[in-house]
Amino acid sequence: MIKIINATFSYGKENIFHDISLELNKGEIFCLFGPNGCGKTTLIHCMLGMLALSSGEITLAGKDVSSMNPQLIAREAAYIPQMHEKPFPYKVIDMVLMGRAAYTGMFSVPTTSDREIAEEVLEKVGMSHFKDRPYTQLSGGETQLVLVARALAQQTPILIMDEPTAHLDFRNELYFLETVVKLVQDTDLTIVMATHFPNHAFYFEGRNLISRLGLMNDKRISIQGNPKAVLTEENMASTFNIKSKVISYESQGKHLRQIVPLETI
Amino acid sequence: MGITHLDVPPTHLNVVWDIRLPRAILGAMVGASLAASGASFQGMFRNPLVSAGILGVTSGAGFGASLAIILFQGQPVYIYVFAFGFGLLAVGLSYLIGITYKSTPTIMLVLGGVVVSAIFSSLIAFLKYIADPYDQLPNITFWLMGSLASARLTDILISAIPMSIGVLGLLAMRWRLNILSLGDIEARALGVNIFIAKGLAIFFATLATAGAVCVGGIIGWVGLVIPHIGRMLVGNNNATLVPVSVSIGAIYLVIVDNLARTLTGAEIPLGILTSLVGGPFFIYLIKRTKGRGW
Repeated sequence: MIKIINATFSYGKENIFHDISLELNKGEIFCLFGPNGCGKTTLIHCMLGMLALSSGEITLAGKDVSSMNPQLIAREAAYIPQMHEKPFPYKVIDMVLMGRAAYTGMFSVPTTSDREIAEEVLEKVGMSHFKDRPYTQLSGGETQLVLVARALAQQTPILIMDEPTAHLDFRNELYFLETVVKLVQDTDLTIVMATHFPNHAFYFEGRNLISRLGLMNDKRISIQGNPKAVLTEENMASTFNIKSKVISYESQGKHLRQIVPLETI
Repeated sequence: MGITHLDVPPTHLNVVWDIRLPRAILGAMVGASLAASGASFQGMFRNPLVSAGILGVTSGAGFGASLAIILFQGQPVYIYVFAFGFGLLAVGLSYLIGITYKSTPTIMLVLGGVVVSAIFSSLIAFLKYIADPYDQLPNITFWLMGSLASARLTDILISAIPMSIGVLGLLAMRWRLNILSLGDIEARALGVNIFIAKGLAIFFATLATAGAVCVGGIIGWVGLVIPHIGRMLVGNNNATLVPVSVSIGAIYLVIVDNLARTLTGAEIPLGILTSLVGGPFFIYLIKRTKGRGW
């Protein structure tokens, strides 16, 4: 679904990342883990065609992103931003309906079937009862679910999320992850998720998703693969200078893992 | 015509058909244009405090009209053409400033508008300073206060073209304005070519406002507050807010213009009354709706 070949990006002379390659198939979830300022968001903006690579190539569903217009890209990949400012107190349903922009002309308004799609996806994330509420009144977790619904309304095979759980509380973070798991199981979405929490990758793996993880540091993805292979105490020490401990435990007949940070080196 | 049976003196007929009706139509169009542009700019710039003049169209038009008053002894045709032309020029300059720096165009557009407005305001002050104080200066001052007193049928026909194109364009784009209000990155990710969509919205709003200002002078309040009255009544969705603002703006300006014409023996400039009447009404609405929609 997503293929990145030797992607390099620079702002003027300043290199942001270089030589990133990645291939994601249908139904796979890729967690992009790295410190603030390592270029995760820039890479995501390149994947969405908002920024042009200095060299290399990104394809979505087999098509070169640099040759696609915004409308075509928005029909292949939906985006959930890291920071979402709420400019006006739109109703929740109106907000979700905006996901249909790629299917609505410049001088048109959404059709009845667009409305049906919006109601359907709102139901899917369990937010139907908030339909007519101003979305400025929602909590962080509820807002994030509305943004997921808006992304689903785009009906894309790909979903790209930039630190979607950054502002969520303990329970809402878990609920958000559960929603993502359900979506991948139900709809075969391909997901890219930038995150500050490596355990998200273990969580997805523990829920039987095809989960992959990339450690982004020093302007590149230094290590990638399945979480078990990537999230090791050695890699955490060599890549992020963190002393950590991987613990594994049995729960409901499954073998699960967590990585616990101990101290900085 | 039915009315002629009623023994109405022909002078009354003339007053209604040739003076009052054109003026009412013009008032409705000016109100609709300013309100539609204000609502659109507020949505697009994600800022409830901007008005139709945010990109400098009113200051530019004010300068053009002042220049025409000094150069051509205030012949109406020149005032219209100069006001319209300089209004467009001012927005064009703001736009050029806004797109020179690519990554945050919205804030740069607003800043461009502020700078261009300031420059044209200074130029207006300069023209007032050099104007003939007995003849030209009062003319400039009155023009800047706004009035529909000089409206004739021909004025309507000329200014109706840009106002209609502008308002109809904004009405057609009303739902797109929702998307633009989410900011450049999200709008782009939702599949909107923000460069084209923003450019078109600015173009339509500028045509509408410049058309309104060139015949009506600088009429404050309508472009800023009418959209807020609309929000209290129908909420924030631009798909309904823009048409509602158009209606309220049109009705409001016709009412205020009638007051301006009839309250005292002499005409009161419209720009004075729009906020004087609108202010208390706005406060009343806030009390009634408890600021719903905000």
